[in-house]
Amino acid sequence: MSEGSLVSDELRSLIGSTGPEVAVEVTRAVVLRAADVFRGSRAGLTLEPGSEVPGFVLAALEGDVPRVQVPEPLPRSLLVANEWRFERPLRLGEELRARSRVADIRERLGGRFGHSVYVQTEVEFREPASGALVAASSITLMYYDLERPGAEEDGE
Amino acid sequence: MTPIWREGDELPPVRFEPSLERVVRYCGLSWNFPPFFYDAEAARAHGMPGPLVPGPLKLGFLYAAVEQWLAGRGWVRQVRAAHRRPDLVGTPIAVVGRVGRVYEEGGRQRADLELAVVNDRGEPSVRGFAVVEFFAP
Repeated sequence: MSEGSLVSDELRSLIGSTGPEVAVEVTRAVVLRAADVFRGSRAGLTLEPGSEVPGFVLAALEGDVPRVQVPEPLPRSLLVANEWRFERPLRLGEELRARSRVADIRERLGGRFGHSVYVQTEVEFREPASGALVAASSITLMYYDLERPGAEEDGE
Repeated sequence: MTPIWREGDELPPVRFEPSLERVVRYCGLSWNFPPFFYDAEAARAHGMPGPLVPGPLKLGFLYAAVEQWLAGRGWVRQVRAAHRRPDLVGTPIAVVGRVGRVYEEGGRQRADLELAVVNDRGEPSVRGFAVVEFFAP
């Protein structure tokens, strides 16, 4: 069965678009809370200003970065992949400039979810003075519709 | 420079307890509150038997496991998760890993790790990958 593309011109035009740049800070509170969540313990943390801190604090920082609004191409969505990358360790007390970007939008035919659309967004964290990249996070959502032909009913 | 790991080394499983409290703490940390992470009824409305462990929380567990294996001998440059199936809140999971490649880049020794999150039946729910860089001795 042939069907048209789910990636409309409007959707495709969003690839590469960016949100507003905002300042985020690696605070003591963020480090402690992130350690509670991911390690289940605060043991071993060094909390002197400028000390290196675990990269999982990105989970908190990226929540403060406004995302580009992408119209949902299909009614249901699922997280399929995410990633954190670091050029150097994060440091306690540092302020970074962050901005989100729509990295890619593509569709997939077939498979368990039938005709689906993948939207990948990234957030880059940069040094304010030099603009050097410090870290980046990426998240890929899959949009799908179990009512469409080709989709199986045992989806997540 | 002697590597702390060799290619093919299996890394010991690191267990995590994704309790409801921990999931709610994650939602607060990320300021992201989809109800199916903590509300059983909302999860059932999505066709799931119970609340789901957030995917980004599992990415953080991958990071935390790698940190634990490194034990202060290096740092995590990259961690990636490909989510294959859901895990339910309250069901223990473990991160398992294997050293895929040990190499030098930019004058520093690095390793690529193949990772997975497995449930209590040993089924993988996440396939992961990490790059670590060792501190100079």
